[in-house]
Amino acid sequence: MNILHMLFEILIFPGFAFVLFTALFFHWLDRKLIARFQGRIGPPWYQPVADLIKLFSKEDILPVGTNEVFATLLPLVSFAFVMTASFYLPFAVPTTQSFEGDIIVVIFLLSMPSLLYFLAGWITSGVYSILGGNRSLLQYFSYEVLFLLAISGTVITSGSWSLAGIRSAQLTSGSYFLPQLLGFFLTVSGLIGKLKRDPYDIPKAKSEMVAGPLTEFSGKKLGLWQLTNQLQTVVGLSFLVHTYFGGYWQMGTVGGFFTFYLLLILLQCLLSAISAIYARFRIDQLIRLNWYALIPLALIHNLFLVLK
Amino acid sequence: MTRIVVPIGPQHPLLKEPISFLISLDGERVVNSSLRLGYVHRGIEKLAQQRTYVQNVYLIERICGICSHIHTTTYCQAIETLLGLDVPRRGLYIRTLLCELERIHSHLLWLGVLAKNIGLDTIFMYSWRDREIVLKMMEEISGGRVSHAVNIIGGVRIDLDADRLTMLESGLNDLNGRVEELIGTIERDRSFAARTRGIGKLTLEDVKSFCVVGPVARASGLDIDLRRDAPYAAYHELEIEVPVMNEGDVWARSMIRMREILQASRLAKQIIRTLPKGPVSTTAPRKVPPGEVVSRAEAPRGEVFYYLRSNGSQQPERLKIRTPTLTNLITLPEQLKDVQMADVSAVIAGVDLCIACADR
Repeated sequence: MNILHMLFEILIFPGFAFVLFTALFFHWLDRKLIARFQGRIGPPWYQPVADLIKLFSKEDILPVGTNEVFATLLPLVSFAFVMTASFYLPFAVPTTQSFEGDIIVVIFLLSMPSLLYFLAGWITSGVYSILGGNRSLLQYFSYEVLFLLAISGTVITSGSWSLAGIRSAQLTSGSYFLPQLLGFFLTVSGLIGKLKRDPYDIPKAKSEMVAGPLTEFSGKKLGLWQLTNQLQTVVGLSFLVHTYFGGYWQMGTVGGFFTFYLLLILLQCLLSAISAIYARFRIDQLIRLNWYALIPLALIHNLFLVLK
Repeated sequence: MTRIVVPIGPQHPLLKEPISFLISLDGERVVNSSLRLGYVHRGIEKLAQQRTYVQNVYLIERICGICSHIHTTTYCQAIETLLGLDVPRRGLYIRTLLCELERIHSHLLWLGVLAKNIGLDTIFMYSWRDREIVLKMMEEISGGRVSHAVNIIGGVRIDLDADRLTMLESGLNDLNGRVEELIGTIERDRSFAARTRGIGKLTLEDVKSFCVVGPVARASGLDIDLRRDAPYAAYHELEIEVPVMNEGDVWARSMIRMREILQASRLAKQIIRTLPKGPVSTTAPRKVPPGEVVSRAEAPRGEVFYYLRSNGSQQPERLKIRTPTLTNLITLPEQLKDVQMADVSAVIAGVDLCIACADR
């Protein structure tokens, strides 16, 4: 009975299936919101599922000269990394025990898919893939640093390296969202880079790179890459809710569950709005923005938090 | 780092029509580029020699899917000059009206393409949504959204009644408001400026030496516009302002085109208000007297040039067409020098290529 219960928790609720459906729902929400911002109608609610079914049933082709083992492993491993991260970031329902330093683990797990994304470009032989991979690596060194610096603001204030610690510190002191508004927006900026959403979609810029590192992927592998990205979006957002909105909801309560989802939806609205508003950055513009403006800002912000 | 050659085209998400670029990159910087044309060559000039003058009107209309009307205008003008036909003023006015509506539609389409290429999908969706207004207007008066079949030798096929004129006027007012909003947005939007300012620069000297025409030339400070300099159709009776800018980059080109939309809608309103009474066409003989003629018109992309030689039969002996895209296309390798790979899409969009026109 106990094992069955555990399996249920891992595979269905609040584990695998639940997280997947949340990801698909948020992907739909994202597309619908952007469509509405652009004056379009947008897809029906089942569109992400339909897309996934279509991709998974399609023929899977790889060009000659591609390492087949790697091409199969990379999307799988990258999916596994994000899925593991989701277990450390429970969706308002307690799952794993939080421990000191788990925030580092989550950051590591969330940054790995970007590296694998670069490798995906490297192992295929297409010129768009290689260039897109190079770009993703260049981009990696700017937004990842920013994300890490910005998120550490919450660690400094709470004095804890665990997600549970950060949450419980906010329950007594109030959420960090308003007092650390600057840090929050810097984190969001880093997160957009992680997710490679517009305006940071430089590696997969359609008008020059076709689909970047994923150009040569098709069928199941492409479906898995896309699913990874969708999953990464909702896991990233839930990371923000854990670190910046910890005071507004309580783990394990019904009210907490709904507040958590409401916050997730609001954050998704923010991301979609940013996507709709800005033109794609150029890689030099992005790096200049990050290293000359945002990263120093994050450092000053952290210094201010330490001194306070 | 070793040089990478990136093929763009003949099929690529960046391109709406087939053309091929080979771009050599040093890192992200373009060091060299070459282009190849001819993927949509249909042999229209040769075909035109095997058909009668009347049949050719419909053939010529199919040179371009965006500026079809300007081609038939130039072609019909050439024949009317050879025949010495006196086209009724009302016919000329309606012809001019369609030219201006087509300019609006072409420029809005172009803005969408540029915005899409720099990753600003919202502007793309907005400008194409607003373009529907002018497409509907053209469909209402002619029956076709892009191929209107309005021009015939000796005038136009359609007439406008009072209802249609009010419909056009209100449509243009609606469009004006939306275009002004679009202009305000792209003028103030910093991310749009970041991706278009200082890119694809052409100086006044470059423009003159490459014989660049149209909005691209006007964005580099060359004050040319056939509608004012060599008026055809009804333009000599209309007030035309020609917007000119000196920056010569993609930004200036977009601003020029946006102002031309407003200018075109002003012209269209002038035409609606001052539309003369009378017939819209005269009958033209089937045979054209021998002789040769050059006909020019200002297409949305610049000067269209037609050369027609007649031997007195029902079929033209030679029809030579030079479209603005062909002249502007030659500047691309120059513009692409030393830009970043990411700006290639903006530069290519900035010239407003119409490959079907250039290949014919």
